[in-house]
This record gives sequence, C-alpha cells and structure tokens, in this order.
Amino acid sequence: MDFNILIGGPQGGGIDTAANLVGKAVATSGYGVLSVREYHSNIKGRHSYTHMRVMDKQPRSLKYPVNIFVALDPDTIFEHLDDVSEVSTVLYDKTTEDYDLQAARMIMRDTSAKIRRILTENGFETTIRGALGYMKKRGAKLLPIPFSDIATEAVPDGTPSRYYNTIGAAITLAIIGIDRKFADDAISYIFKGKQQVVEENVKVVDASYRFAEDSKVAGKTLPALPTPRKLLLTGNDASALGKLLGGLRFQTYYPITPASDESTTIEEHQNIKWIGKEAENLRKGGVVIVQTEDELSAINMAIGGALTGVRSATATSGPGFSLMAEGLSFAGMDEVPLVVTFYERGGPSTGLPTRNGQSDLLFALNAGHGEYPRIVFSSGTVDECIYDAAKALNYAAKYQMPVIHLIDKNLANTLDLISKVDLDRIKIETVELAKEGDDVKRYDLNTENGVSPYTTMGRNIFWMTGDEHDELGHVTEDSDIRDRMMEKRFKKLETADREIPLEEKAVLIGEKEADITFVTWGSQKGPILDVIEDLKEEGISANLLYLKMFSPFPTEFVKNVLSKASLVIDVESNYTAQAAQMIKLYTGIDIKNKILKYNGRHMTEDEILKSAKEILNKESLMVVLEDGS
Amino acid sequence: MVHNFRNDITVDWCPGCGDFGILTALTSALQELNLGPHDVAVISGIGCSGKTPHYVNAAGAHTLHGRAIPVAVGVKLTNPKLKVIVTGGDGDLMSIGAGHLVAEGRRNSGITVLMYDNAVYGLTKGQAAPTLKLGVQTKSLARPNIYDAINPIMLAISTGYSFVARGFSFEIAHLKNIIKQAVMFPGSSFIDILQPCPTYNNINTMDWYKKRVYKLDDDKTWDPVVTENDPKAEEKYNRAIEKSFEWGDRIPIGIFYVNKKIPPFTERLKQYVDNYESVPPAAQDVKSKDGKPIVDPFETFKDKIIV
Ligand SMILES: Cc1ncc(C[n+]2csc(CCOP(=O)(O)OP(=O)(O)O)c2C)c(N)n1
Ligand code: SF4
Ligand SMILES: [Mg+2]
Repeated sequence: MDFNILIGGPQGGGIDTAANLVGKAVATSGYGVLSVREYHSNIKGRHSYTHMRVMDKQPRSLKYPVNIFVALDPDTIFEHLDDVSEVSTVLYDKTTEDYDLQAARMIMRDTSAKIRRILTENGFETTIRGALGYMKKRGAKLLPIPFSDIATEAVPDGTPSRYYNTIGAAITLAIIGIDRKFADDAISYIFKGKQQVVEENVKVVDASYRFAEDSKVAGKTLPALPTPRKLLLTGNDASALGKLLGGLRFQTYYPITPASDESTTIEEHQNIKWIGKEAENLRKGGVVIVQTEDELSAINMAIGGALTGVRSATATSGPGFSLMAEGLSFAGMDEVPLVVTFYERGGPSTGLPTRNGQSDLLFALNAGHGEYPRIVFSSGTVDECIYDAAKALNYAAKYQMPVIHLIDKNLANTLDLISKVDLDRIKIETVELAKEGDDVKRYDLNTENGVSPYTTMGRNIFWMTGDEHDELGHVTEDSDIRDRMMEKRFKKLETADREIPLEEKAVLIGEKEADITFVTWGSQKGPILDVIEDLKEEGISANLLYLKMFSPFPTEFVKNVLSKASLVIDVESNYTAQAAQMIKLYTGIDIKNKILKYNGRHMTEDEILKSAKEILNKESLMVVLEDGS
Repeated sequence: MVHNFRNDITVDWCPGCGDFGILTALTSALQELNLGPHDVAVISGIGCSGKTPHYVNAAGAHTLHGRAIPVAVGVKLTNPKLKVIVTGGDGDLMSIGAGHLVAEGRRNSGITVLMYDNAVYGLTKGQAAPTLKLGVQTKSLARPNIYDAINPIMLAISTGYSFVARGFSFEIAHLKNIIKQAVMFPGSSFIDILQPCPTYNNINTMDWYKKRVYKLDDDKTWDPVVTENDPKAEEKYNRAIEKSFEWGDRIPIGIFYVNKKIPPFTERLKQYVDNYESVPPAAQDVKSKDGKPIVDPFETFKDKIIV
C-alpha cells in the first residue's frame, strides 16, 4: 500500500483537522503516515495544504503526483494543476465548477497569471471546469463530491461548510480502506470534550463512507495491524521533547515562524512527568519559558540562565538569528554553554517566512564578529531531532561554547510517528564544577583540553567580560594572555572534534561502492533514502553521504568517501550549495553535480529521482527543482 | 564574617568621576545588608559604567552594550535567590538597550537597575546620551544637542518598575540607603543616579548638581509607597510623575515611587511552574545518578500519543 495524498483549502479552513483525522485513523489502524504542512504567511484565507503519505511501513518521503487529491475549495484545484496524473483521484466540490479564476482573489497575482497561462495554452477555460478538464487530460480521475448534500444529510440543521474537512478526510480514509471505526475514533480524539461536535462529525463520517461505497471508490477494508504506542510529533515537538529529556530548564524566545512552536510546546509541557525510579529523591521542578521582547534579549537571557548552571537555550529562525549574532559572539568569547536551535526558512530578509530553506548554514557557521569556536550541526528526521536536541545541550555543557542546532522548516513542520524514545541513547553529561570558594579561575589556562572548570553565579565569585580577559575573567589587553586565551578557546574545538563520535558528524548510508553517491544534510535525508531504493530497482546502485556536523567538520571521513566515489551529487535546499562549499573548503573536493531547490517547497522523492537520472545520463550537470505549490 | 564587596582590581575611571561614589555606595550597601559572597551577581553592559562588576567582589558579568538587563533577568529567573544588580550607562540602558529597559518594567523580575546618568557616552568620548537636554552643548559636541532628553523616572514608573528612585553620586550615604532598599525590594527597582563626568560633561558638573539637588524626604509629607488597598494609590502615582518633571534650579533625589502591589515575575511564575519557589531551575537535578534522563517522554507528551 502506498498512497500520496494532498488535502488543500483556505488557511484556517480546517486543513489541519482533516490531516489530523487521516493521520490519527491511519496510525491507530497500524499503518504508517508522514505529512508536511505548506502554508502562506497569512492567518485566514490563503491556500494551504498538507501533503501526506500512507504506507504499510512508516514513510520517509513524500511524492508527486498524488493518488488522492482533496480540494476543499476551488483555489486548491487551481494551485495544483500539475500535481495529479493517471494515478490520481481528484475529490472536489461539484457546485464549484463554474467558479472563475478571476474570483480567486486569495491566489497570489503571479500564481494566478501562471495558472491562466497554463490553462489557456492548453485550450481550457479559466474556471474550475477548465482546470478539471486539464487535470483529466493529465489522466486524473475526477470524483465530484456533493459536499453540501452529504453534510446536510448527516447534520440537517448544521452549517454544511463546517463539515467539508471531515468529509474530505473520511472519503480519503474510505478510499485507502481504513476501517470506519478508526475514523470514528479519530473524530472522538480530535474533538475530545465536545460531545455534540463528535456526534455530528461521526454522522458525517458515516455519510461520507456510504458515499464512497456508492461511488465505488472505497477500497477494500484493510486489516487492523497491532501497533505499539506512538507519538505523533513534528520536528518542533521532537526538539522540544529532546530538550526536556536532555535537561533543559530554561528557554527564551521571541515569536517567529517556524521556531516558536517549539517554545510553546515546551511551555505546554513545562510541568514534567518524571520517571519514578530514576527521579526518586532528586530535586525536581518545572521548566521556565520566557517570551522576551526581542531576539537580542532572548539570546542574552538564555546566556544569563547558563550562568547559574542551568541548561539553557533559545530557538529562532533567520531574522531572529541575525539579531542574535552579537550575543553568540559573547557566548563564544565567554565560554557560555548555550544552545540555539536555528530553524531555517527561506531567506534572505523576511524571505519566505513559512517556507523551507537551507540557506543559513554558512551564516550559522560564521555569524558573530571575531573568531571563536562553536558547534554547528543539523538534524534530518523527526526522530533525530529528539536525540540531537538532547545532545546539543551536552555539547554545550561539555565544551562550554555556543551550539547551533539546525532544523529546516520542512522538518519543523513534518508530522511523523515515533514509536520508541530510546532513553539509553541519551546520557546527560556531568559538568565538572570548580570547587566552592572565592578564588576560582573561571578561565584557567592550565588545562589539557582547553576546558576550564565551570562555575556558577551563586556558587563562586568569578568575573566575565566580553573583552579579552585573564584567567579570573578581568579585562586584559596583554598580548601573551590574548594568545593563550585564543588558543585555549580553539583547543576546545579540537577536543570536541576528537571526542564526538564520527556517527554524530557524518554517516555513509548504503553500499560502500555505488554508481551514485548523494551528499546531503537536513530533511532531504528521507527522500534520498527512498530514491536509493528506487534506483536499486532499476539496477543503479547509490549511497548517501549524510552530513550532520559542520563544525567541527569531519574532514578526513568526507574526503575519504568522496575521493573514492564515482558520481557525486550534492542535494540541498538552497541556491549556493552551501554544504558543498564547506566540503570544498575542508577537503578541496569540488562537487560539480547538484540538485538544488530554493522555491521554499519540500523536496519530494520523485523529483530527486528524476533529476538524479538526468545527471547520471549526463543530460545535465545541475538541476534546480521547481515542484510544489 | 562580613563579606568585603570591594576588591583590589585597579579602577581605571578618570579622577573625579562620579562612578567612584556609585561603586562605594553599592559595595557598602551590600556589606551593610550583610549579604554573603555568593548572594549577589552584578551584571553590566558596556561603557565606563560597565566596568563596575570587575570592581565588586561578587560574581560579575560585563556583557554587551545594552544587554545587561536580559542577562540579569536570565540569572534572576533561574536562581531567584540571588540579588541581581545591573550597572549600566544612560546610553547603554536608554538608547541601545531601551527595549529591554521598557520590557523589564512590564516583566518586573526583581532585579535592581542602577543607571549611571552622566548624560554622555563616556567610553566613546562624550557623545550625547539620552538624558542630555535639547540644545545643551557638552564638551565633545560639535553643535548643541539636537535630540531632546528622556525623563528616566517617568519612563521607569510608567513601564512598571515597582521601586523608582534617583540618587546623586556625591551623596554617597543617601545613595547607599536607596540601594539597600532597592536590593531588598522583591520587585524590580530602577535608580537614576546623577553622575558627573568631569571629562566630557562640563555642564552637569558636581558643583552644578550640588547647588540644585534636594532630598524628597526633606518634605515630611512625602510618602511614595503604595500599599495593598491604598486609597491614595493613584494620587501617589500622579505625584511621582509630576515630581519627575522637576528639573532646573531644583532637582529632587530620593525615592519617587514604590508600589508593593505589583507582583514580580518570579511570583507570577510560581503559578505556572511546578516547584518554582522551592526548586527553581538552578536548584534542579536534571539527570539520575548514572546520567540518565528523568523525564518520562510518553507521560510528559501524553497529548501527543496518537496510538
Ligand atoms: C553594539 C555596540 N555599539 C557601540 C559600541 C561602542 N560603545 C561603547 S561604550 C558606548 C557608550 C557608552 O555610553 P553609556 O552607556 O552612557 O556609558 P558611560 O560610558 O557613559 O558610562 C558605546 C556606544 C559597543 N560597544 N557596542
Ligand atoms: S569618561 Fe566620564 S564617565 Fe567615563 S570614567 Fe571618565 S569621567 Fe567617568
Ligand atoms: Mg553615559
């Protein structure tokens, strides 16, 4: 079983509810589901959609064209003309056929012009009827849904449009073949506590399933599979959870997409439930979350938290990170254990505030004036976010430096099922503290590894300054001390490089030797792993050099892998191939073949596969991906 | 034993600088309060004023220009037992860090903000600071000041500081007394400290101030303290604001306004954060004896359990 699904409608029009209904019902019946949310920087009205995939196993990627296309409004049809083919069934509201593109004011002007051009050039009128004709020509099967009739039949005195999302979700489930009882359960789960709403929606589900059966689109009911307990988490949620597991007790933030969901998630769960036996007799309390006045405050307040010995962090995205640059430099200079979770979105400037991007890697590596050590690493899956968020706190504590954890927007907004949180994979490092007393050298130069004993306000007297300083933390401009301090700070990076296991920095996934070696970082990991399987079926072998850490950079390993590889393809969601630039900087190896995407939309399995083959067949050197509405 | 809050680090302020008086008032206030060596954290930004933490024998952080308040708040909220003191310049706190000064009023974390008010940017050689009046031309200025001045007392009261006062760096005993009260006050306090800068401010000199300052509590009817159910709460607020505009031949120093009704941020947090009072973040254990997480992931994220 493998269904790619797109559910679209106006922002604020219940798309999330529809996606959650499908996700919940699929998950409880024991199947796998993965989804990504795409939306405008808008609260109500503009086109938003969820791209999902339902499989027997847990999916790792999404794919176009979709099998089930659910349009909760006419805009969705206009926006996704090319996302369907002969594999698709298009569910749409029959009463909207006369709807003219001109009336679709919420479609951005440029997009509207593009749609008009496509329809006109292909000889279709610029209405939903025309758009459906176009989709039909692409091979899609059209399934007009009497949304209003179904809703009225189920809830005679209700407002029909309130149930359209449930109808779309329920018919989707019926087509997949999910047992109705799981759809009912999903309704109770999603509308928990609202008895009347539950009852009404259950009736709507019933009517929708009957409609699917009558229309002969319902799939054979799939057997329910036994399933362990699972969490449904976004990348934001997973990072929040990982931070709590890793000992975070203070987080600051200023609202920004796609980062603030992490902080609000922590806030919602700030009163932790403890593991009885592990937590017995320990001093326990909740997490403090502060919404600050701006990101300047957010980073500096998190630094303040670290000064009392608390595992502290902040989370932001590009614009906020720009404001944090000076604070980052202070944390580097003053050896403050600080975690910044950096959610990347499409830049520059405000850019594409709600869309994907990986254009901040070089910025993360270089932000802040002066030279100072930092750890910069990224996650590629929701599961990784959990462990990496915990690790980030460890790195910071252990090496007393800012740690930047990169998570791209696509990952932040990916909903994934997590069946196991393996606590054995998380070890919270013990930090050696200076002995109590009044004469600690916070910046003791007498260390093997560059790491001086840490201490906290409330425990010892010590000083710190953003100026160059002596061992006590007082200002100095002495030329020798300056040299020693610079060396000491950078020594810590060497120590980190030596101590952090290779698998936390880079991994070669797949066969050692292959026709194609993909190189990527972040959320393309999943799609590429699927592409590798697709290629295998076609007799092409491929592997993946998956990069996680960019500072310290695993130079030898990367050099080793790439110098032996035959065809190397770098895959990134940016314009300037920033990871490839880093590889060149460190290894001297220049990756010529690239698959890049900078339109802000998530990369899909099909487009990577297609372009990899183009590159393999020498039709092109570099491909820029353009899919996604 | 009483802890000596002065250390022997060489102070490099200009001779005659008002900062010396502030340092003396601060360290003797801490000493007279009988605070221990680990009860206090002094946080500063950048400027001549920003050097203060190095001269105080307590944990100190000399942070970035304008960012002392956020750092101080981070320290305070994670370890509310600490007395956290910000020493900042007028440029530091009211220009580059103005957003934080205002936000801290609303937040009211329980820190003490000492603003070194010399009306110039000392460390960058005398440019006009936000307290320099319109049309005044201090030594370094090429032309009279083209900005108007902020009224710091009014700003602090209106943004929500619950203890607002003004001191003068050459009235050390008076200033010390105010600092003692401010440090012990549960809410956030703001003290505007008139601080002559003999090097760059040749207008607002020590003598200039000495001729003008008078103490608010010389007037025995002056009662700035708003208490629970105080029928005169509004009157006291209005009077403090009105007083804050007095500037010229006579300049008031002393406590302008104290509001005991404003719950500090730490009090507000107690309502939402488990054990915040007894086990704030700095006092927490975050791992088991053998370094394992103590957070139950499924129970804590129960609402995210889908199956
Ligand atoms: C971000 C930044 N911008 C500018 C400076 C330069 N700078 C150092 S001190 C200072 C002004 C200090 O004036 P004030 O805050 O009034 O302190 P004072 O020296 O008067 O005590 C400036 C602008 C800096 N250190 N950081
Ligand atoms: S420049 Fe002014 S404020 Fe700075 S130390 Fe000298 S006298 Fe004091
Ligand atoms: Mg000044």
